Amino acid sequence: MTAATLRSTSKDPRRAREMAGRVGWGIVAWVVAIAFFIPVLWMVITAFKPESAAETWPPQFIFRPTLAEFRLVFSGWGPFVTHSVIATVGSTILVLLLGVPASYALSVYPIKRWRDGLFFFISTKMLPIVAAIGPLYVIAVHTHLLDSIWLLIILYTAMNLPLAIWMIRSFMLEVPSELLEAARLDGAGRVREITGVIMPIISPGLVSTALICVIFAWNELFLALNLTVTNAATMPMYLISSVPQEGLYIAHLSAAATVASVPVIAVGWIAQRSLVRGLSMGAIK
Amino acid sequence: MAQVKYVSASRVYTKGAPPAVDGLDLDIKDGEFMVLVGPSGSGKTTALRMLAGLEPLDGGRVEIGDRDVTFVPPKDRDIAMVFQNYALYPQKTVAENMGFALKMQGVHKEERDRRVREAARLLDLDDQLLSRKPKALSGGQRQRVAMGRAIVREPQVFLMDEPLSNLDAKLRVQTRSQIAELQHRLGITTVYVTHDQVEAMTMGHRVAVLSGGNLQQCASPRELYENPVNQFVAGFIGSPAMNLQTVPMVDGGVKIAGTVLPLPGPIRAAAKTAGLSELVLGIRPEHLHLANGSGELPGDVILVEELGADALLHVRLAGGGDPVVARAEGRRPPALGAHVTFRVQPDDMFAFHPVTGARLAA
Amino acid sequence: MTVVEDLAPTPNVQVVPRGVNRREQWQRRLPLLPALIYIVVVTQIPFLVTLWYSFQSYFFDVPQPAHFTGFSNYTTAFTNAAFRGSLVRSVVMTATSVIVAMLLGVAFAVLLDRKFFGRGVARTLIITPFLVMPAAAALVWAGPMLDPNFGLLNWLLEPFGVNHVAWLSTHALGSVIVVMIWQWTPFMTLIVLAGLQSQPADTLEAAKVDGAGAFATFRELTIPHLRPYIELGILLGSIYLVNTFDQVRLMTNGGPGTSTTNLPFYLYQQVNFAFNVGGAAAAGVITVILTIIVATFALRMFARVFQFEEAGA
Repeated sequence: MTAATLRSTSKDPRRAREMAGRVGWGIVAWVVAIAFFIPVLWMVITAFKPESAAETWPPQFIFRPTLAEFRLVFSGWGPFVTHSVIATVGSTILVLLLGVPASYALSVYPIKRWRDGLFFFISTKMLPIVAAIGPLYVIAVHTHLLDSIWLLIILYTAMNLPLAIWMIRSFMLEVPSELLEAARLDGAGRVREITGVIMPIISPGLVSTALICVIFAWNELFLALNLTVTNAATMPMYLISSVPQEGLYIAHLSAAATVASVPVIAVGWIAQRSLVRGLSMGAIK
Repeated sequence: MAQVKYVSASRVYTKGAPPAVDGLDLDIKDGEFMVLVGPSGSGKTTALRMLAGLEPLDGGRVEIGDRDVTFVPPKDRDIAMVFQNYALYPQKTVAENMGFALKMQGVHKEERDRRVREAARLLDLDDQLLSRKPKALSGGQRQRVAMGRAIVREPQVFLMDEPLSNLDAKLRVQTRSQIAELQHRLGITTVYVTHDQVEAMTMGHRVAVLSGGNLQQCASPRELYENPVNQFVAGFIGSPAMNLQTVPMVDGGVKIAGTVLPLPGPIRAAAKTAGLSELVLGIRPEHLHLANGSGELPGDVILVEELGADALLHVRLAGGGDPVVARAEGRRPPALGAHVTFRVQPDDMFAFHPVTGARLAA
Repeated sequence: MTVVEDLAPTPNVQVVPRGVNRREQWQRRLPLLPALIYIVVVTQIPFLVTLWYSFQSYFFDVPQPAHFTGFSNYTTAFTNAAFRGSLVRSVVMTATSVIVAMLLGVAFAVLLDRKFFGRGVARTLIITPFLVMPAAAALVWAGPMLDPNFGLLNWLLEPFGVNHVAWLSTHALGSVIVVMIWQWTPFMTLIVLAGLQSQPADTLEAAKVDGAGAFATFRELTIPHLRPYIELGILLGSIYLVNTFDQVRLMTNGGPGTSTTNLPFYLYQQVNFAFNVGGAAAAGVITVILTIIVATFALRMFARVFQFEEAGA
């Protein structure tokens, strides 16, 4: 047993070069990250400016920050944020309720024509909803759902369900079949199988899916704009209303934009791993 | 000339932790089939990867031919490697897999195809397999493609990292002899890593036994078997393993199985010099000879494993202690529960230091 | 030496594989039904209604009720330069954004794949544009970023000789596309990153031993491995990007003129300002038919992506 004398890394030309490369590319990555983030940063900075400091040339970086614009935003946002929360949470819950069983039927004990089923769901996303906006408006009027939060919940669910089914299905495919067989041997019926065995295992996947649904529902503008007026107006609408016909508005706009975006950004940052998992479907093997 | 030398080679993963490979000194001759064997964590794979250039050295150096390759990247070392999980390129066909290295070297297509076909013939790979992708092949076929990829390069050294561990038992035995024969035919220096000592014994010209990052012994299989240099090697090489028991020393011998077993002179002398009151006694299963009642070591049979040609008897010796394994004739082994006695030749006894494990009186 | 063949004994009973029986089949379909029925009702009914109205002349601002008008809405749509223009612009905007976002996505994924100091934070910053509300992004880019008089971009580019450019007037389409790319590159990056991280490490080592340098490894091994991921990214990205509305409405309002009017915005205008339900419906139906044609090409891509996700049990 020899106690070998060890050599420092810097004397190894290969490792030294590797390290230099790593630092170099790391710097490039940081430059890219910051460049990409600047518009968001600028939005937040401008939100703290008084209007007089927001539309200047050159743009100001040093100024006296104020919460005045935020206060204005918070004084007006009440109904809008409520509607957004209801529509987002409601549609996401509905998506999960409908999506989990559907994914089950397309993955674990699949129906014979599961490929057709899956393709049908995806195809509904490929047909642009914009094409039906006129008739949708007419239907909404006739069913008395115009400017109703229920309409948004219904439509957002339909909007997110195909993607959710695809994602949940891919997570279900990762459940080892031995676990399912063991559960069956233990006498678990289908419902118990889903709730007792599958859902605990895919719960991170469900979180990812819910996250994606929340992002798309919260941020949705087109349907809200066309099908709501006041009783169901959501945060994106509030944002638009912060652009007046005349007068200075940039700081106020930035504050509104920040407030509108912060919930999703915060959730996305905190549950980042979950988000990444969801976006990459976890299971393209 | 393609000898391989490890000179005081070391690899440490985290500062302060014990080294994965600690000052390895190993000389491998040109054309030799050297097997690195040891349990998991022994450093054998790390040592191989250091030779490949996939792990940096934290101390010492590695030489291929007469060249110090410690800082040379893998592609310039003129080596070829067979990975444990084969590491075949999934989106390329078998032919493309085997010809990849040649393509990287800029070899022309016709020459590449010729060498690939030659290697395929050598490994009994059908022509139609050449256009398939790895996922359409069986495990055995994939293993041969991995070998083919290495052979095509005609390197100075072959490196193999447990290439048989993913094959089923029967295929493993078959492929073992094929690899040994292939190496003999091609005459290329080969460094082969395995945890299976049967593979080590049957394939290697010499075997290097590693444990905990340290080289225990490097010798021919026969030498390792008959003259293990310490307790680890003695207990590792040979299947079923050598019986090892810590026994107290008494006048003239050791106390075992309720009786005194006389030890040969040299061992007693070595033990006396080391001032030992007990030692580890080692006797191989085939050296415990059944003696109908006249043997020195009595015991009761607690398990009989019938292997066909032989039978392995698990015997609890009188006086307690761990059961020993003895090899007996297959035709009419003693029954379960029978009382038996064993005789041992003095030359067949091994003794090891109870603390250091070193062999007493080699 | 005689060889004894192992012959399978002939079965006494005629065994016919039955597969899954009928009751089991319906049991399997049951969980799918709620979602299926829901989607059919919520998406197909509006489509059928759209089809119905496409053959009607129906204007909101006119006292006349809807009445049948045959194919006139369709002929109007086909001869309408505005509609055709919006289709072309949709294709241009979508294709450009998807391709550039994917190219950037691959580049960023490669950067984020290596370890470096603060990699987690860098990744967090890069994914943020995807999380920002598109309406907010549109308004922030339109005002604080791109305004000719106080926009940040003009200030940053001043040292390069750029002089108070009114981006949304002179480079309207480009500006909108830039924002679309900005918001969707993170999506592409994450998908490709997942692909990079799923590459088995030992294949990369084998390539190293086989003499492949960094570029050769990337070209020969990594890109083929990434193909299904890239295809998935392009497919999903296209589906969402073709429906881009927020940026058009809030940055340029379709202008100057119609230079940034894409299909969603055109239909929005038809419904809200021309009050032309029939016309919008016909335009919508044409869009759907075109989408189906494109989708059948996408179906081939689908098959490959599906290949990786076989249903089990």
